[in-house]
Amino acid sequence: MVTMLKQALFRVFRKLETKHHELNYLFWECTTRCNLNCRHCGSDCSKDSFYKDMPLDDFLKALDTIESPSEHFTVVLTGGEPLLRKDIELCGREIRKRGMRWSMVSNGYLYNNEKHISLLNAGLGALTISIDGLESSHNWLRNNDKSFERVDIAIGLAASSSRLNFDVVTCVNKRNFQELEEIRTYLIQKGVKAWRLFTIVPIGRAKEDDEMFLTDHQFRELMDFISESRTRKDIDVKFSCEGFVGEYESKVRDSNFFCRAGINIGSILIDGSISACPNIDRTFSQGNIYKDNFFSVWQTKYELFRDRSWTKTGKCTECKDYKNCQGNGFHYWHGEKKNVLVCHNERLKKTTNC
Amino acid sequence: MKRDWKRKIIGGLCLTSVAFVFQACYGTPQDFGNDLLVEGLVKSKKTGLPIKGIKVSVDERVQYANTDENGKFSLYIDKLQHANIKFKDVDSTQNIWFSNKDTLITINESVLTSKQPKVYLNIELENK
Ligand code: SF4
Ligand code: SF4
Repeated sequence: MVTMLKQALFRVFRKLETKHHELNYLFWECTTRCNLNCRHCGSDCSKDSFYKDMPLDDFLKALDTIESPSEHFTVVLTGGEPLLRKDIELCGREIRKRGMRWSMVSNGYLYNNEKHISLLNAGLGALTISIDGLESSHNWLRNNDKSFERVDIAIGLAASSSRLNFDVVTCVNKRNFQELEEIRTYLIQKGVKAWRLFTIVPIGRAKEDDEMFLTDHQFRELMDFISESRTRKDIDVKFSCEGFVGEYESKVRDSNFFCRAGINIGSILIDGSISACPNIDRTFSQGNIYKDNFFSVWQTKYELFRDRSWTKTGKCTECKDYKNCQGNGFHYWHGEKKNVLVCHNERLKKTTNC
Repeated sequence: MKRDWKRKIIGGLCLTSVAFVFQACYGTPQDFGNDLLVEGLVKSKKTGLPIKGIKVSVDERVQYANTDENGKFSLYIDKLQHANIKFKDVDSTQNIWFSNKDTLITINESVLTSKQPKVYLNIELENK
């Protein structure tokens, strides 16, 4: 009863948030160059990307269209690997000059002591570094023998900062699944305070790689691992925002599932496309900064993001949980968009009686 | 404004103090703005000219910056009420050694609680 009431209240809150659609999280895909070649990468990033890095001035022109940014407005630099940009500190400083904040997602390979200092000097406020297992599984997934050694340094540096809001993300797959407890211990020893776990989307080069995907039973075990970990208070473990997890909703995150793509999350992608999270299908693009006013696109478009009724198709049509889930994370709609790519709730229900 | 209150009240009632603080799968946590911008200019007390290559650091922390050719420096540091900003000649680029200087700063409450807190320092260094 209490749970149902809370859910109902949350739906009202979600509706208000959608109506208000305050932009407070803007991804900037500032490069698609990458220094690694990860097995799970959903993008076509490579050392020599097809796209040139977006010039800072082009991005700033779009940023300057935002009238009175919200209180917690943050620009999240993502890639590719943002640290491959030589002007990363300048990018950060220009964002800060505008009274805005910035953060960054990195694979940690180039994050050494010098970089740590120059980024802090430039006003970096939050950072996420990804680690996908202990040494051998991480290096396997990253296709690079030195990757763990380098990310280990990066994590140590980032965790030592009293000012950075820092967390680590892990893409859980069949290889690292058995190591979760050890990774947890490793992160605690490194002084990491927050750890976010997610699973892989069956797209890009990961699609054909069976080792990347958990079985339904493993997925349930993952939920159990996260919910049990959250009862121990030594590190803040959570499942990422990626999908609705039915019976585990209140156990694996701080808040109910709410895909905020296009509601609070926008993006400017490498080719100037205006969209939401960088991992969603590129055909959802709402405009382009090279021909549209970014903020007026944010204010007036994004209909498909703000009215999700079109996701009531395929397996979502008859779903009893639709009102709480609304078709799962937006990034699970690709191609023809006739069916959701993954339903976490269904995976869990399949293993209920085991 | 009214709508914002409604949002905040209902968000609070959802018992999710984090209702307004979120992150996307591949995104970062929110930046809570725990920093303070320290900018300034370092000059020679004797000549009044700017000094390049002075190392500026804070207390015993790892962070530091060097003054540029115009004697300017700029770095975001932890938001502290009191800090000891240290100036040290590390390269003697002008073939003159300057004395080190420690400057204790106290940041008042109104600066600390402003949206982008910052302080500006004018520093003069003596010849050694
Ligand atoms: S069927 Fe669709 S709406 Fe229902 S839980 Fe699965 S993804 Fe969500
Ligand atoms: S699209 Fe995916 S990553 Fe983005 S907010 Fe929705 S669930 Fe999270």
